Amino acid sequence: MSAALLKERFLPHFSNPALAKLTDAAIVDVAAGRLAVSTDTFVVRPLEFPGGNIGSLAVHGTLNDIAVMGARPRYMSAGFVLEEGLEFEVLDRIIAAMAGAAEEAGVPIVAGDTKVVERGKADGVFINTTGIGELDPGFAPAPDLARPGDAVIVSGPIGRHGIAVMAVREGMEFEVEIESDAATLSPLVELLREHVGTGVHVLRDPTRGGLASALNEIAGTARVGVELVEDAMPIPGPVRAACEILGFDPLYVANEGIFVAMVEGGSVQNAVAALRTHPLGEEATVIGRVVEAHPGIVAMRTGIGGTRVVDMLPGDQLPRIC
Amino acid sequence: MCLGIPGRIVEIRDDGGFPMGVVDFGGVKREVCLAYLAGEVGVGDYAIVHVGFAISKVDEEEAKRTFEVLREMSQLEELEWMQEVAEKSLNPPPPEAS
Amino acid sequence: MKYLSEYRDGKIARGLADSVKRAATQRWVLMEVCGGQTHTIVKQGIDELLAGAVEMIHGPGCPVCVTPLEQIDRALAIASRPEVIFTSFGDMLRVPGSEMDLFQVRSRGGDVRVVYSPLDALELARRNPDKEIVFFAVGFETTAPANAMAVWRARELGIENFSVLVSHVTVPPAMVALLESPDNRVQGFLAAGHVCTVMGWTEYEPLARKYEVPIVVTGFEPVDILEGILMAVKQLEEGRHEVENQYVRSVKRDGNRPAQEVVSKVFEVVDRQWRGLGNIPSSGLGLREEFAAYDAEPKFGVHTITAEESEECHAGEVLRGILKPNQCPAFGTKCIPENPLGAPMVSSEGACAAYYNYGRFRTPSESGA
Repeated sequence: MSAALLKERFLPHFSNPALAKLTDAAIVDVAAGRLAVSTDTFVVRPLEFPGGNIGSLAVHGTLNDIAVMGARPRYMSAGFVLEEGLEFEVLDRIIAAMAGAAEEAGVPIVAGDTKVVERGKADGVFINTTGIGELDPGFAPAPDLARPGDAVIVSGPIGRHGIAVMAVREGMEFEVEIESDAATLSPLVELLREHVGTGVHVLRDPTRGGLASALNEIAGTARVGVELVEDAMPIPGPVRAACEILGFDPLYVANEGIFVAMVEGGSVQNAVAALRTHPLGEEATVIGRVVEAHPGIVAMRTGIGGTRVVDMLPGDQLPRIC
Repeated sequence: MCLGIPGRIVEIRDDGGFPMGVVDFGGVKREVCLAYLAGEVGVGDYAIVHVGFAISKVDEEEAKRTFEVLREMSQLEELEWMQEVAEKSLNPPPPEAS
Repeated sequence: MKYLSEYRDGKIARGLADSVKRAATQRWVLMEVCGGQTHTIVKQGIDELLAGAVEMIHGPGCPVCVTPLEQIDRALAIASRPEVIFTSFGDMLRVPGSEMDLFQVRSRGGDVRVVYSPLDALELARRNPDKEIVFFAVGFETTAPANAMAVWRARELGIENFSVLVSHVTVPPAMVALLESPDNRVQGFLAAGHVCTVMGWTEYEPLARKYEVPIVVTGFEPVDILEGILMAVKQLEEGRHEVENQYVRSVKRDGNRPAQEVVSKVFEVVDRQWRGLGNIPSSGLGLREEFAAYDAEPKFGVHTITAEESEECHAGEVLRGILKPNQCPAFGTKCIPENPLGAPMVSSEGACAAYYNYGRFRTPSESGA
């Protein structure tokens, strides 16, 4: 069953020399030096949402984990656990989206595996992707490199992915002009490497838990404080509206196509200008700065001039009535 | 309690005698039950919506009127504050006796 | 967003805060009743802006927070049954019962789902005729019309696999209980704007008179709250104690009559237990006899379940305004959002969670204690 599946449905989309050999393992060439390796398993429900599906998400998610290390993504593998009864049309759309995302990123899927399990043992489909990227020794952003005086930049508007997915969940169902922002960010990382170089101290993709969680983790690791400005947050109107209705804070909503960067104060103009030359970074903007005060804590100056702490949330946000 | 959000009614329909509608919350649209505002609202009106039910029609006249008052007040505040600052700089307090 | 964003105008808000500070000749103690208002106050740092002029005590206006422990335990028992799809507003999922919460029931295989509206739960009942759909009908008067309509529609449409677990409470009796308490320090109230959208404000007029406290019906955005506070402070300065309406764009004196009618058709006034406040007579709503078929408690035989509150949890004192969350010995140590001892730390508009999430690194003196 799996061999047939592989041949009929997967191979035609993922064709590349390494995969086509169908050997037990793929053989690939990499530049000398160090490699970044990342793996992630995607279990998202629903499988399809405005702007993408679990397949495209699986590509972008893993490639972004590689990209924010400062590495150039080169190869990927993909493993599938399919639930018996999954409609072939849905599977075809997932595969097509994956192939499209991989091709756009210029990253071939060189190894793959599929297994089928009984009805009820997988939520439609689970996908694992592993990515490999080449590290440039001169460019290695890391959370503990954040320094007071750094500017905090976000590469695009926040909250789109989480709201797009929530909008199609059963029990919620609202119509929203928002699509997931899922996209591979390596072109933007390239621009920063080229125009700012070692001035880029930290790069992070704020996925689950949103911007707030990512910033809290960085502040905690680096033992620095972060000060944000509420009025500077780029939040699309419909994301704002959906958050109001559900009682969500956009700062905690998942993103799949932006990163947050902490950049040396003096380089912030260059960084923002560079990002804005690319469609994915058109709305890049400064949202705050790294400070010495209140290490480990992220604070925000509110629209009315007060301050609030932007804390970690213990779990996912839940729609509230109050 | 409670999360009540203002939105604009963009569609009204009758679900077998049960008044339902669609409300646009600035880019997000949702099905809303209009039973509690039946006869009071039409397409284009604004309503406050809580857990899928419209519970009041936004009184746009009142809102406009009171908001203007607030806005004027805040400009007045700024003028008064500016006056205070101007006065203080013209008549600085005497140096503290040690 | 129209009729929302304007009320977050920073300039107007700061202007109002200045007006409050200038109008107050002494430090006044006010209570905002509603959890949504608490949320805005702490999140926007309004109490910080007004320190010195006004002390805000956060009232028990969080229906999630005041849902008694035994009601949570009853919900857990029902949700654990294999034939049940248990539906609820999101904020109830993390409220701890005696042993666990609804989230944990879900991870053990229970079918627990978040819905946005009680009509969504009814729709689930329609789509799943072989399952029993139970809806956790929690809330103040604001939510009662929605929950009442769901039951009414269920009967109209002949849907039998739908029932509600009711935990409705009403505001005025709680305010009276607070005002009657010997350690009450509250001198004026911001009444809950959406409760009053449904109920109007006639019930508050006798309270203002009898207890000589100003009551201002207030909205939820920073400008609303600051304007409401200013109106209350002006009354206190002038020695008045009336009911005033700040939230004019939504509230009328008589409220929403059709909504009140459906509520009184489906529900009747009952005594209710408030977590942290004890039993308050005539402070709740329960299903009328004729709708007994839609009452989940007898349907699933959970009406005999009772529970004891934790000794270490000071939710009661926090809800009564006697303790600020960060003055509770367990705050931030034994009691944190990941491991809450009581509901105000769980619910995102509970006073303790609001403090923890937004105001934790302020010292008690800065936060107006």
